[in-house]
Amino acid sequence: MSESVPPASVVLVSGGSRGLGLAIVTDLLTAGIKVAAFARTVTPELTELAAKYPDHLYAGPVDINDTPAVQAFVKTVESTLGPVDALVNNAAIGQDSLHVHTSPERLEDIIQTNLTAPLLLTRFVLRRMLAKGLKGRIVNVTSICAQRGYPGLVAYSATKGGMDAATRSLARELGGRVLANAVAPGFFASEMSAVLGQTQLDQIVRRTPTGHLTEPEDVVPVVRMLLLDNTNINGQVLVIDGAASI
Amino acid sequence: MSSVARDRVRELMGEVMTAQGRSLPADDSAELRTIGFRSLDFSELALRVEDELDDELNFDAPGLRRIATIGDVLDFIEQLQSA
Repeated sequence: MSESVPPASVVLVSGGSRGLGLAIVTDLLTAGIKVAAFARTVTPELTELAAKYPDHLYAGPVDINDTPAVQAFVKTVESTLGPVDALVNNAAIGQDSLHVHTSPERLEDIIQTNLTAPLLLTRFVLRRMLAKGLKGRIVNVTSICAQRGYPGLVAYSATKGGMDAATRSLARELGGRVLANAVAPGFFASEMSAVLGQTQLDQIVRRTPTGHLTEPEDVVPVVRMLLLDNTNINGQVLVIDGAASI
Repeated sequence: MSSVARDRVRELMGEVMTAQGRSLPADDSAELRTIGFRSLDFSELALRVEDELDDELNFDAPGLRRIATIGDVLDFIEQLQSA
């Protein structure tokens, strides 16, 4: 029987400066884990965390689409915190327009940021992990949009579906040396948009057995479990939406 | 592109095996299936070779082929380096 994958010790979180990403970073630091976080902009909240956990958090302003900068950041993390053995692909941009009104340039941006860039980051981190003979864990933050249709989110949904599919293939390809999973949150209360307006969010709430939209606090424990706990969960997409989608 | 000598590749292959608590037989005809050298182990070996080359191997060039023995692995790495 093959040995299990040890808990993560150094976790790289993309898009870790606000929202769910920041909540994941905060939770892992509280659990005593070393965390590296990057985002286009380092927010005051992330700066505050870096001051509070100087030996456990390394943060920097990096655009996930800037591949050389991302790779340089990872190498600096390795020399600062130690080898990265876990990755949370959280960085993404949203969409708020019907497909027919989404410009070709915006479509390309969404696919680049939400699909191509995380696949490149995953490739880079895995190459370094495997070259060092390490085992590790990957958690992709996707969305219920990957499994259910919602207006105004065509390209966004396509990228999240792509990451769900990649999660399954990674789990197969990595042969148990790396546990690859995804979390698929339902809509966050903060996600009111022009297309998916308050009326539709109210409707989602009414149809949700737990009676409320998803909050980052609902997702964080699941991400922590996938990164730290000794489970045999691999290649799965865990939906966190209060059963709104069933 | 410079190349990593066959003997050195064999040493690196041994390091991959040793890191997993196993050893690499001296006989190149030993079956990978028998010694427990899996596809991910091959990836780890290729990444170590790339590290020494400071360049990526071109996996697009060679066609699919049967890699069943230690000698096959060493041949394939040689082929990748010359691609």
